[in-house]
Amino acid sequence: MGSAQPVEPEQANTCGGNKVLNSCGYSLPSASKSRGNVTNHKLPQTIAVAGAGLLGRLLAWQLQRAGINITLFEAGSFTPDAPPTIRAAAFTAAGMVAPLSEAVVSDEGVYRMGIFALQQWPTWIAQLPATGEPLFFNNGSLVVAHQQDTSELEQFERELGFVLPGCAGYQHLDQHDIHQLEPDLHSHFHSGLFLTEEGHVNNREFLRLLGDEIINQGITVRTHTPVDVFPGKVVTEKGEEHFDLVIDCRGLGAKQQLRNLRGVRGETLHVETREIHLQRPVRLMHPRYQLYVVPKPNHRFIIGATQIESEDRSPVTIQSNLELSSALYTLSPAFAEARIIEMDSNLRPAFMDNLPRVNSQDGLISANGLFRHGYLLAPAVVENVLAHIFRKPEPIFSDLLNQH
Amino acid sequence: MSYHKPEQDFTLYGETFSSRFLLGTALYASPQLMRDAIIQSRCEIVTLGLRRQNPANRDGDAIWQYIQQSGCRLLPNTAGCKSVKEAVTLAEMSREIFNTDWIKLEVVGDDYNLQPDPFGLVEASEILIKKGFKVLPYCTDDLILCKRLLDVGCEVLMPWGAPIGTGQGLLNRYNLRTLRERIKDVPMIIDAGLGAPSQAAEAMEMGFDGILLNTAVAKAHNPPLMAEAFGDAIDAGRKAYKAGLMQKRQTASPSTPTIGQPFWHQQ
Repeated sequence: MGSAQPVEPEQANTCGGNKVLNSCGYSLPSASKSRGNVTNHKLPQTIAVAGAGLLGRLLAWQLQRAGINITLFEAGSFTPDAPPTIRAAAFTAAGMVAPLSEAVVSDEGVYRMGIFALQQWPTWIAQLPATGEPLFFNNGSLVVAHQQDTSELEQFERELGFVLPGCAGYQHLDQHDIHQLEPDLHSHFHSGLFLTEEGHVNNREFLRLLGDEIINQGITVRTHTPVDVFPGKVVTEKGEEHFDLVIDCRGLGAKQQLRNLRGVRGETLHVETREIHLQRPVRLMHPRYQLYVVPKPNHRFIIGATQIESEDRSPVTIQSNLELSSALYTLSPAFAEARIIEMDSNLRPAFMDNLPRVNSQDGLISANGLFRHGYLLAPAVVENVLAHIFRKPEPIFSDLLNQH
Repeated sequence: MSYHKPEQDFTLYGETFSSRFLLGTALYASPQLMRDAIIQSRCEIVTLGLRRQNPANRDGDAIWQYIQQSGCRLLPNTAGCKSVKEAVTLAEMSREIFNTDWIKLEVVGDDYNLQPDPFGLVEASEILIKKGFKVLPYCTDDLILCKRLLDVGCEVLMPWGAPIGTGQGLLNRYNLRTLRERIKDVPMIIDAGLGAPSQAAEAMEMGFDGILLNTAVAKAHNPPLMAEAFGDAIDAGRKAYKAGLMQKRQTASPSTPTIGQPFWHQQ
């Protein structure tokens, strides 16, 4: 395997932390700074978390662990298998934690928050009761393109060079290398990239376990209860309820209150086959769409995701199904006999710059706009919110999340 | 003394524009980048596709309103339509949603390179013009196709430079030159296939009236800066066309007088 560009010296890094450098020359910040060591500050005793998606669950869980009395409000159901119209985007997502791949379509800030996520996910998962089911995989990811589309690979690499100059977090692959890494992929891929620092969360299982843990912690969970949020209070259809602090994690549910928040449609297929084994997510570059397949436990794979500028929550279209299925089939013809277990569509909450925001005021913190980066950015956003609650002088990633 | 003569109007279906640059709104990393690119391009017309946004339900409202805030004239397109019926239906829906009878007509003939279907394009143009639409057809550089589109009532033609998204530039200069020479009085906009500002300048130097593009700006690392670069190139190419390009010559011709130079320095 040919190595990519050499490592450049450490780049400007404003998020603090230790001096362990990753392959792109970035030092990794420490999450522990977002809690503890608080001086003369009265912590909120009661907190309402609005929205039981990924952010809402993580925050409720972490805050209850810190000894705060939490009430979690959810407009829909609390279980992942609820009907698609009322479940959070986190249930539809494939759970990729892909800092390099996503930096290519966003910016260096997303990358910085992404490498933080790679270290934070195992830490969080270790705090859940062990079930033997693996919840986080860190085997890197593969980017491939058909021979007629190799310019897409070159464009990907060129863009990476713009966003992260000198990044050495990937390797060039030839046909032989690809076969070594993923023997079940179709042999017609002659070139690719191996992004060594990428992972993915077994997200549905994680959400289920986290849901169980939230119940076990004794958090009050109020399902089928849509709320309006205000500083220090939430309003349900039954009336006002007061809390020391309200955290708004409603995603698109907050659309009426957050200017320029919109939904971006995404569609996925879930298939099952025992004929193919993949060790890591594989991304297929194509002139008009970039799709990925993520291996999940129990011989399942998620193929996603379309990205359509529409707030259309209706079921998957034939056009999208054709695109997703074709991509899968060309990755390996053996996918032809895979069984389609599920087709899902949902809306990603996004601001017009497609970047997340945390807005903190007295009595109300709003965290939203994670777009297609839910599992990639949730650790940074959660730790930033916690740092605000615990009144840390320099909340982690405040330069990226709090200054819009 | 100024050598600038007043610029001839860039007039499409009776409306006059000062910018000859039309920009697409797809493929940007974010709507905000798209908006910044529109501003930097100085364009006055933006095109947008509705096919996949469930327009019957108006599910694209959030992004449509954001694009409308640019203040540009909206040119809805039928990208993604593979049949005459699909294109006509979508055009009618676009007219209703955006309150405009302008339509950038695309009828896709080939799934992979999105090459226009010339037969479907003529048929759909005829239907839509009879329904009162002002059709801007995305076509190939075939002279006869362009004549047929004029026959059915198109008042603007939008021949490709190269297939959509390829960035190949002007692939068939002979055809494009023929088009310009044979169809002098109809505005012609080079639509699709351009990858670099120099290619846009070249098309304008050839006498084309405007440029429509999307991918080259949207997929640049810095879309607003690339939009500005294309805007500059389109202006430069237009000025060069108006100024009159010199003819290429086979032999070198010194631009300073040779009087006074010893004759043995001359070949």
